[in-house]
Amino acid sequence: MSANTSSSASGGAAGSSSGNTGGGPCGACKFLRRKCVAGCIFAPYFDSEQGAAHFAAVHKVFGASNVSKLLLHIPVHKRLDAVVTICYEAQARLRDPVFGCVAHIFALQQQVVNLQAELSYLQGHLATLELPPPPPPSAQPQPIIAPPSLTIADLPTGSSAAPATYDLSSLFDPVVQPPWTMQQPRQMDSHQFGAARAPAEASSSAGTGDLQELARELLHRHRTSSTVPCNEVLPLPPHSK
Amino acid sequence: MNSKRCAGCKYLRRRCPSNCILSPHFPPNDPQRFACVHKIYGASNVAKMLQQVPVQQRAEAANAMYYEAYCRIKDPVYGCVGTIALLQQQIFDAECQLAKIQAEIAVLNGHHEATHQNQQVNVATSSANFTLESGGEGTFSSTYDPSICQFY
Repeated sequence: MSANTSSSASGGAAGSSSGNTGGGPCGACKFLRRKCVAGCIFAPYFDSEQGAAHFAAVHKVFGASNVSKLLLHIPVHKRLDAVVTICYEAQARLRDPVFGCVAHIFALQQQVVNLQAELSYLQGHLATLELPPPPPPSAQPQPIIAPPSLTIADLPTGSSAAPATYDLSSLFDPVVQPPWTMQQPRQMDSHQFGAARAPAEASSSAGTGDLQELARELLHRHRTSSTVPCNEVLPLPPHSK
Repeated sequence: MNSKRCAGCKYLRRRCPSNCILSPHFPPNDPQRFACVHKIYGASNVAKMLQQVPVQQRAEAANAMYYEAYCRIKDPVYGCVGTIALLQQQIFDAECQLAKIQAEIAVLNGHHEATHQNQQVNVATSSANFTLESGGEGTFSSTYDPSICQFY
């Protein structure tokens, strides 16, 4: 997905108010088979070549009017990032109709839990080494790190130390598939997010390659700064009753 | 037709049929849940997406959609990708800390080994008797008294 180059001179990352200036309709209008007017909100972000394919995913999941409304409420200088993340979520939802990008979140959360358990273990081990003189090592079994059942309560809250800025392109690394995803899928509580089920296909790395390329291309062409500010970490959504 | 409409049909002000696809996942006592997904996806898209999913997985799909919609409403620019970024940062920090601790353990292990070897050498040299051998003039024995640091 890349910007409509005919309007990039005047628009670019700033999200120009002028739409397509003569290079044909933008990818969104091409897909929707409508006239691409000046000031088309999608034009800076969906070019007429690859943009149409990417917009197809966005339209299928969110709907053009919903995305348009969403973008209208976002400052112009933030719309590029919004479009990238919307495309990401749409692609993830098409790839995994059940969990979408939430599967990625749970995979990362599982990684965090495993790393923290390993850290705790090694910190304990370090503490014993620092004590003089260390007792002879007894044959103790390695602690078994059982993957906890993940719930929405485990996801980061607003009080966590969030980075002030982060590079959006790093978000589109291939999805890490932890070992538990290959196990028997576990049911999620209908009122909570339990442990995520394994995706039916483990081909996310191939799909995310396109998305990575999309994000990098967008960012390379339109970003004026190397990092973007990160909004505050979202609080947990209320549980359904 | 359900005597009580689901949150979706209530929001849309329409009849709630007995086979309403939204009904099991958007109960009437939680209108905010449907309002969230409708604002981001639209009711028809939600229904279409739920229809594409096997019945036994629709609850999970509805939950995931609700979470994504909620995140998008709270953070219109990044949505739940913000959570992904935060988790990736946490992973990075944890891996750095892990590497640091592993390095410290390696250093301490090396130190302990060196200390242990030194202790072994001290034990050998602090014994009351040992035999000295001279190179070409035959052997002779003597005893070293560490208390007086003298051979006798």
